[in-house]
Amino acid sequence: MSILVQDVSKVYQSGEVQILALRKASLEVPDHKVVAILGPSGSGKSTLLNVIGGIDRYDLGSITVAGETLEALKDSQLTEFRRKHAGFIFQQYNLIPTLTVEENVEVGRELSQNPLDMKEMLMKVGMWDKKDKFPSQLSGGEQQRVAIARALIKNPEFLLCDEPTGALDEETGKKILKLLQFVNKTYGTTVLIITHNQGIGEMAHKVIRMSSGEIVEAYENENPIAPEKVTWA
Amino acid sequence: MILRKTIPRTIKEKKFQYAGVIILLMLAVMLYVSLSMAITTLEERNVAFKQDYKQETFHWMSSQPLSGAEMSELEKKYDLTLEERSYQDINTDDTTTLRLFNKTEEVNIPYISEGEMPQQLGEVAIAKTFGDKNGISIGDTISIGGTEVMVTGYVFLPDYIYMIEQQTDLLSDPSQFGVGVTTSETLEAVKGTEQHQTLGWNTSNEVPDELRSEVNNRSTLLQFVGHDDNARIEFVESEIEGAGSLITTLPLIILALSLAMVLLLLKRRLELQRKEIGTLMALGYRKSELRRNYLGYAYVIGLTGTILGIIVGAALSLPLSDLYANYFNLPALSRFDFDPMVLVIGFIIPLVLLLILTTFVINRRLKTEPLTLLRPKEISSGKKSWFEKLPWFNKGGFIRRFRLRLLVRSKARSFYIFLGVMFSTVLLVFGLITFNSMDRLVETTYEDIQTYDYAVHYSSLQTDPTSGGGSPYTMAEVKVEGEKVSLYGVEPDTDFLKLISDGELLNERLNDGAVVSRPFAAIHGVKDGDSITLTNSFNDDEKKVEIAGVADVFIGSSLYLPHEEVNAFLSYPEDAYTSVWQDEKPTQTDNVFLIEDKQKVIDSFESTSGATRNSVIGMSVFAVLIGVIVLTLLTNLIVEENSPSISLFKVMGYHDKEVSKLVLSVYTPIVFVSYFISIPLASVVLEQSMNSLVQQTGFIFPTDVAWWMVVIGFVVIGLTYWMSLALSKRKLKNVSLEEALKKQQD
Ligand SMILES: Nc1ncnc2c1ncn2[C@@H]1O[C@H](COP(=O)(O)OP(=O)(O)O)[C@@H](O)[C@H]1O
Ligand SMILES: [Mg+2]
Repeated sequence: MSILVQDVSKVYQSGEVQILALRKASLEVPDHKVVAILGPSGSGKSTLLNVIGGIDRYDLGSITVAGETLEALKDSQLTEFRRKHAGFIFQQYNLIPTLTVEENVEVGRELSQNPLDMKEMLMKVGMWDKKDKFPSQLSGGEQQRVAIARALIKNPEFLLCDEPTGALDEETGKKILKLLQFVNKTYGTTVLIITHNQGIGEMAHKVIRMSSGEIVEAYENENPIAPEKVTWA
Repeated sequence: MILRKTIPRTIKEKKFQYAGVIILLMLAVMLYVSLSMAITTLEERNVAFKQDYKQETFHWMSSQPLSGAEMSELEKKYDLTLEERSYQDINTDDTTTLRLFNKTEEVNIPYISEGEMPQQLGEVAIAKTFGDKNGISIGDTISIGGTEVMVTGYVFLPDYIYMIEQQTDLLSDPSQFGVGVTTSETLEAVKGTEQHQTLGWNTSNEVPDELRSEVNNRSTLLQFVGHDDNARIEFVESEIEGAGSLITTLPLIILALSLAMVLLLLKRRLELQRKEIGTLMALGYRKSELRRNYLGYAYVIGLTGTILGIIVGAALSLPLSDLYANYFNLPALSRFDFDPMVLVIGFIIPLVLLLILTTFVINRRLKTEPLTLLRPKEISSGKKSWFEKLPWFNKGGFIRRFRLRLLVRSKARSFYIFLGVMFSTVLLVFGLITFNSMDRLVETTYEDIQTYDYAVHYSSLQTDPTSGGGSPYTMAEVKVEGEKVSLYGVEPDTDFLKLISDGELLNERLNDGAVVSRPFAAIHGVKDGDSITLTNSFNDDEKKVEIAGVADVFIGSSLYLPHEEVNAFLSYPEDAYTSVWQDEKPTQTDNVFLIEDKQKVIDSFESTSGATRNSVIGMSVFAVLIGVIVLTLLTNLIVEENSPSISLFKVMGYHDKEVSKLVLSVYTPIVFVSYFISIPLASVVLEQSMNSLVQQTGFIFPTDVAWWMVVIGFVVIGLTYWMSLALSKRKLKNVSLEEALKKQQD
């Protein structure tokens, strides 16, 4: 089991009020799968993804990812954990505006001892012919492709995507989903996708539904469909 | 690291901001390096010349020369080297005097920088500055006292580094006075009165305690001057010492200002890139890697600024050294005359300080959790400070509140604007005061107070009545609290000395006590009504006097008392005098030791005022330059930080002019408040520093601020501010309408 989340709780102190962002959440994700995390806004999806990816801490429970028990790691060890195992994709792409496409991917490549090939990576995400462009010269979908390449080139075990299609239209969004599925198939990367688009669940091996910090439903799809067939909502 | 590529690209994108801080840093380093190199050059040359050419420890003049046997006895007893030297003052034309010495072998050894040492009858070497100013060069023949002599070389004398005719002269003016050396035979061949002096040197460079009285017992001493009291030697040393504080203070202030600007800029950069930093942290970049990357900005700014500063500073030190060479006659004895430590300090200190401070700023930012960095910042900046909660804050329309909030929210910006204006103002006012002081110093001291044209000093006490309207007085050197003071015994009703203070004549007060000069009051820290004790250096007699007034005499530590009182104190006959003030040019020169021609003094002041005026102009340009850079940088940052609001105003239909009024003019009151606080501050600071230097310089500048300085300063600072606003308005114009929408998205 590559990701194991056991009874994890997280409280946010927001002024006087306490917000329980995660309530005893438990989850198992096998290797090489695509997982969709669904749920309304504020239900704790991002919090769950962030604690799994090691960019946030939790208050109770235990998380084991790729053999590492996260609550036992110091901040610097957590950095090494992310460096080795995790790749992040954000809704806002977060590319470095003063670097070209290729250079942005290079930012990810430098983190790894045995990275993937740059040309192959850029060809796979379909950005090879635009490798010398700056982010401001690209569309949203193209920028997200670059962000995916940046996360993938270090060949991580997990790709953690927080609403990767949230800022994209249907056509571009589906292309990105297709790319993520392709990545999962080609490199065996475990992909966690947060979305409030119900339809996206149909392309995942496993679907998790969250509400008010709790995992209220978890099921597996026998036959995940192709992204282009997803009902876009 | 690929991230390194972002640095030159970011700098290029914000080239004006980065160029601004680099120039500031460069100016600080340049100022330090150029001044220090010039001063250390002066110092190294002075030390080398002094040691290698045996600068005198003291010299004396006596009524009768000592015999050879007596001299060797003294040499043995006090472990000294003594040597006789003769000289004549030769008028080469109406206003010019050449003091020609015979060359010495053991003390004050002449150094020939070009040409040959005079060997034969009819050969002389002269000071190069004197030659330059009077159009005499090597190979020329000049006529001295009716004899034709040839100039064979340029000479430097270790006891005429500051080339003044009399010890009391304030300014050296090589167009009027210079020195030269020749052989004893040539000197004897020149018709004129020959003066003799004895030069003394010892290894410790200290005047033996008993020597003075012992010489006085063997022959009557007319003059005994230790090197500490010899302005021709001492002045260069006090200049080196005095410049030391200027060299460090001014560049340090500019350095502090530029470091503050760099940190401001870097903080802003880290704020702008918070999302980027959060992303990189999430990707797994280590803090040490990120720190190294962001330190790159400090390296670029620091290295460019310091290296440029060193290059420009080193180049600038050459004309500065030349300027000094006009004042101080010091030969270039070695090739590298400056202290190489200057370069090391000018490079290391700013760079290290910059790196330490930026590391500090970067570390603070890197402490933030990656998730916090990835979230937009709005939540935290939405809080109101206690100040904004005050009831009066919320009165008035939204524009008033917006502007007030701008002021309060950017406290650091407001503070730096305040400091920048203050620095420029102080520098400017320094310049204006100095500009004005030279004239006032001359006018008050030499025209309003000393109304005589000539002062004739006799080599012995006179008792004969003076002829033709002269005013006799007694002058002597006494000590007050161990410091030398010139004591004047004057007739209170004399027409030749009007002791004025703020337009009021103090001569009458001489009957109640002593009137003192401004430098005296500053050195001894005394005012009206205080008492002081005078000590006669020759016999330790003491006299207690009360101070009845401080006159506007800005030069020399002097004390004035009634004539009889001084004579009584010095045990002189009642009607004796040493000197006479008069209007006519003295004709008979029997017994005359020295004639002071006041017009010459005034002329030499005028001739140096050109240099002063230039340095004042330089200082003002500097002040304006720094002001423009600092203010432009700050207003630029303010526009940048407020671009969402600015864009919103534009979307709402405000014109650029209205927006710039709204945003930028908020700081106008700060500029003017700072200006009006800085004016008295500049005056006080200048007065304090003058007072602390008066012991070495012997003069005080009038430091009052005249109304016209306030007006000129106001115009200059106003223009400076207006210029930086104009530069920032361009930036404001370029803020796009989409900015408002873009910022709200993320
Ligand atoms: N830094 C924070 N401070 C306070 N509350 C937070 C913070 N981050 C998230 N929350 C709260 O935690 C809950 C879960 O948030 P999140 O995981 O972002 O939900 P989702 O991603 O499903 O929209 C929400 O109620 C949110 O308001
Ligand atoms: Mg979320």
